[in-house]
Amino acid sequence: MAAKKAGPEPELRRSVTPWGSFAWGYSDVGADIFVGLGLVLAWAAGASNVAFLFAGVVYVCIGLAYTELAATYPVAGGGQYFVMRGLGDIFGFIAGWAVLLDFTIDVTLFAWSSVDYTSQLAPALVNSVHPWLHFVVVLGLVVGLCLLNVVGVRESTAFNGVVSALDVLSETLILCLGFLFAFQPQLLLHAMHFNWPTPYQLMLGTSLAIVSFVGLESISQAAQETQRPASIIPRTSVALILTILIFALAYSNLALGLHPWHPILDASGHPIQFWQIFPHNADNQGKAVALLAAQIPYYGAFAALYVPVLGAVLLLISSNSGVFGSSRIAYAMSRTDLLPSIFQRVHATFRTPVISIAFFSTIALVELLFAAAPGLFPALGSLYARFFHGENGLEFLADLYAFGAATSYSFVFLGLIALRLSDPLSPRKFKIPFNINMRFRGERVELPVIAVIGFLGIFSILLFTLRTHALGRIFGPSWLLLGLILYLVYRKHRRLPLLRSQPRNWRADQINILRRAGELELMDQYLANLKASDARRSGEQT
Amino acid sequence: MLYVRGVLAVVMIALGLVILARMLVVASAGFAIVPGLVLGAAMIALGFHRLSLILRNRRMT
Repeated sequence: MAAKKAGPEPELRRSVTPWGSFAWGYSDVGADIFVGLGLVLAWAAGASNVAFLFAGVVYVCIGLAYTELAATYPVAGGGQYFVMRGLGDIFGFIAGWAVLLDFTIDVTLFAWSSVDYTSQLAPALVNSVHPWLHFVVVLGLVVGLCLLNVVGVRESTAFNGVVSALDVLSETLILCLGFLFAFQPQLLLHAMHFNWPTPYQLMLGTSLAIVSFVGLESISQAAQETQRPASIIPRTSVALILTILIFALAYSNLALGLHPWHPILDASGHPIQFWQIFPHNADNQGKAVALLAAQIPYYGAFAALYVPVLGAVLLLISSNSGVFGSSRIAYAMSRTDLLPSIFQRVHATFRTPVISIAFFSTIALVELLFAAAPGLFPALGSLYARFFHGENGLEFLADLYAFGAATSYSFVFLGLIALRLSDPLSPRKFKIPFNINMRFRGERVELPVIAVIGFLGIFSILLFTLRTHALGRIFGPSWLLLGLILYLVYRKHRRLPLLRSQPRNWRADQINILRRAGELELMDQYLANLKASDARRSGEQT
Repeated sequence: MLYVRGVLAVVMIALGLVILARMLVVASAGFAIVPGLVLGAAMIALGFHRLSLILRNRRMT
C-alpha cells in the first residue's frame, strides 16, 4: 500500500473580510425577498404583511441563534456542526442534510428567478411563453456558477460585495420614495379588511414567507474563512438581521398599500390593487420587486429599466451562495465522518472543495429538471396536476426550500439549547439576551428563552409546510429518508457507531478552533475556564 | 465614506418616523397597523445601530 504524502493537509483560506462576511449573508438573504414577495402576495393576499411579520420574528430568533453559535464555534459547516456538538452525530447529520437540500434548491430557485427578472426586459425569456429557452438559460447559469466556485472564493466575494452595496442603496431608495409618494395607509387597511385569506392560505403564505429569510447561515458557513470571526460575525449579523427584516416588512406593507403610478386593470377593465396581479400568475410572482419598483411615481420609469437587471444579478449571486454553502457543509460533514471523506478533498491549486461543488451542483440540476418538466413536456402536466395539485416550477422549488429551512432551523435551536447546557465553559463573545440562570451537572448555565420561542415558531412553520405543501411533504421527508439510509450504510462500512456518536475530545477541538481563528484571547479565557472548572470538581471530590 | 454612512443612518431613522406617524394616523384600525409599527420601529433601531457603530469607529480612529 502506498504511504500517504507527508506535509500539511490543504485547508480553506481565511480571505473573507467584515464586508465580505456581510455580503455573503446579504447576497443570500437579501435576494430572498425578490423570490418570496410574489409568492406570499399570491397566497396570503391581504395578510401578506402579517405572514412576513410572523416569519420575520422567527427569523430574528434564528439570526440571534446563528450569531451566537457562529461566533462561539467559528467552523465551516455552521448548523450541522452546532447540532452535532449539541445533540450528537445522527441529529447533526439530519440538520446538515436538510441544509444541503436547501442549498441545492437555492442554486436552482435563484437561478430560475434570476431569469424571471431578466424576462421583464427580454420577453423571449418568459417561462410560460418559451419554457425551453428559459430552461436552457437557467441550466447555463448553474453550470457557470459551479465553475466559478471551483476557481475560488476570493473572486466570488469581491463580486458579491459590489452587487450587495448597489442593491442595499437601490432597495433603500425604492422604499423611501415608495413610502413617501405612493403609499396610502387606507389602501393597506382596505386590502387587509376585505381580502383576509382563509386559515389554509395564511398557513401556506406564512410558510412561503420564511423563504424570504433563509440564508443567514451563509455567514456561519463562511466562518472558517472569515478573519477574526468571533469579533466580526456578531457585528455583521445584527446589521444583516435588521436590514432584511426591514426590507421584507417594508415591501409587503408597501405592496398592499401601493397607489400605482399607472392604473392596473383586470381582464374586464376594472381597476384593481397592485397586489392582485400575483394570484394565479407565475410569471408575475417571479419578478414581484421589479413590478413594484416600476409603479413608484416618476422614479418608476428609471427603476423599470435597472431593477430587473439588479434583481437578476443579486439572485445570481444568491444562487452562487448556494453552490458555496452546499460545498462547505459537505466539506465539514465529511471531516466529522458524517459523509464520506471524498467530500473533503480540496483542489491542490485553487484550495476549494471541488468534489462537493460538482456533486451538489449535479443535484441542483436534477431539481431543475423536475421543476421545469411540466413546462417542457406538456404531457407531464396532467400527471403533476393529479398528484401535486398542479404546482408550478417556482412553487415546487419554494416548497422544498421552506421544508429544508424549517427542519434544519428547528434542530439548530435545539442544538443551541443543548450547547448552553453541555458546554457552558466556551466563551461567548455574543450571547442571546433573556436567559434563565440555573445549575446543570454542577455548572452554572443560562437557558435561552428566545431559543425556546424561536423553536416553537419555526416548528409551527414546519407543520404549516407539511400541512399545505403538496410537494414539500412528499419530497422533503423522502430526501431525509434517503440521506439517513446513506448515512447508516456509510457508518456501517466504516464500522462507526450507527445511532450513537463517536467519542470526541471537544475540549481539544475548541482550543484548536479558536487558535486557528486567531481568537487567542478567547482561547486563553477558555483554558482558564477549564482550569477553574477542573479545580472546582477535584475540590468537590476530595 | 463615514459621513455618507452617517447620512444614510439618519435617513433611515427619519423614514422610520414617517412610517410610524402615517400608521398612527389610522390607529383606529387596531391590529392591522401592527406590521407597519414594527417596520417603523425596526428602521429606527437599525438607524441608531448604524450611528452607534459609526461613532465607535470615529472614537477609535
